[in-house]
Amino acid sequence: MNCEWAKANITLYVYDELADDGRYELEQHVSRCGDCASELDTVRAFRTTMSATPPVEPTPNLLAASRMRLQEALETAEPQRGWRLIDPMVWLRQMKFSPALAAVLLIFGFAGGIGTAWRLVPRAGGQLAGSGTGMAPSEASIAGIREINQVPGSGQVEIKYDTVTPQHAEGSLNDERIQQLLLFAARNNYNPGVRQNSVDLLSQKPGESNIREMLKASLLYDTNPGVRLRALESLAPYIKEDTGVRDAILQALQNDANPGVRAEAISFLQPVRADGAVRVVLQKLAAEERSDFIRQQASRMVASLPEID
Amino acid sequence: MPAEAAAVPFPGGELKRVEQARNNDAWSSRGRMATSGIRRVDDTVLIREAQAGNRGAFEELVRQYDQAVLRLAMHLTGSESDAQDIYQEAFLKAYRSVGKFRFECSFYTWLYRIVTNLCLDHLRKKQVRKEDAPVATDSEGGEYSVIDRVADDRAHSNPEHDLMRRELGSRIQSALGKLSGRERMVFELKHYQGLKLRTIGEMLNTTEETAKNTLFRATQKLRAHLAEMR
Repeated sequence: MNCEWAKANITLYVYDELADDGRYELEQHVSRCGDCASELDTVRAFRTTMSATPPVEPTPNLLAASRMRLQEALETAEPQRGWRLIDPMVWLRQMKFSPALAAVLLIFGFAGGIGTAWRLVPRAGGQLAGSGTGMAPSEASIAGIREINQVPGSGQVEIKYDTVTPQHAEGSLNDERIQQLLLFAARNNYNPGVRQNSVDLLSQKPGESNIREMLKASLLYDTNPGVRLRALESLAPYIKEDTGVRDAILQALQNDANPGVRAEAISFLQPVRADGAVRVVLQKLAAEERSDFIRQQASRMVASLPEID
Repeated sequence: MPAEAAAVPFPGGELKRVEQARNNDAWSSRGRMATSGIRRVDDTVLIREAQAGNRGAFEELVRQYDQAVLRLAMHLTGSESDAQDIYQEAFLKAYRSVGKFRFECSFYTWLYRIVTNLCLDHLRKKQVRKEDAPVATDSEGGEYSVIDRVADDRAHSNPEHDLMRRELGSRIQSALGKLSGRERMVFELKHYQGLKLRTIGEMLNTTEETAKNTLFRATQKLRAHLAEMR
């Protein structure tokens, strides 16, 4: 607890947005610090001043006129009904932007067609003569059909296909197989919740080089800001010892689209602010950054740097 | 105000109104954007009906939220006619896309997201036009000061006090006009509408942390502008 923290949080305190522990700490600090007590009084007075012009309530006439006008417009407006959700054009548009979904639909469509044909073939001696487990398609999802051959003169069809079967894995976080699965999930799963869980778990072992590489990739390339933020927090303790981590955090600070991630990234640079690359980035941000918060933080950190001889 | 507002009819409403006592409660709580279990249940039923194409159910939803929407738009735009335009556009948008509402947030958060986006567009255009608008226009096109109206209501018996309030009011409006659209919106929703920053973040499609930073920036700027004007 220091004055900088207190001053940054007094506004939140006055607007009842500080958590209980923060409130308690701030009250304790203010009771001992005259400057912060004075700042608290100023912010309270500011709130009172700003309340001198409360919002004007709309008059009943205005409300009635607005409702009448809306009522007229609603007569001709068309709501989007549920059927639009299954509008084939909407699906096509989604597919255009989602190659993975398009590929999956194509595979299943193809497999479905082949499956239908397979069932239509007379099943004389209807054993699956394929290799592998011989599992019927109803018991597993078909991932793709490799080859189809009709055996001449016999009415038999030979189909080679791959299946996807649900699997279950359980084990300790130290288990290499579990780690491999988590690394795979962190890189490839389309569900950001799964990616975040994977990053959460892997971040317990950021000391291992392959995990740290994955965390860096998640920080720089994951599309979900929550995942990037988690990866950033896991990497932060290594910012001093690992220049790769430092570079990744610098990149996130400069390029991340999410202001929250950038704000976190700059806060982690404090211990390495004297590093040449960090210094250059901070100076650039202090001079050119458009976000007030980042610019001010960068300026503050640059000002606290020792002069270079 | 709640009782007056409840008395304003919505022409052509098809659903029966709930009993008066509960209705009055609803208006007062809606006015402050508070939520309760009963309201949420009511909303869910009404939303599902509206999604199935029942316009009466949608109008009932409008009645629950429109006073707060109009008040927010009036305070942000300083103009009754601009506020009416935002009101109209917001509820038409909500009507057209109510089928897409997935109950992932509360209805008022979803609705306010539409309203705040429209208000932000309006503020951006206003900043481009460099309009300072402590002067507002009413629905008949006449000009009046929003601040004057507040002062008149409060200080009939004390002209000196009234004058001071007017001066302070125009200083506040001028300072508010210098904030960016987003800062203005966060400050408006927090200070004047009393919403939680978490909810404001949801409405503005951003994080609670960003909303906190924006509120801090907005208050710092306002304090600086007000101090300059002394």
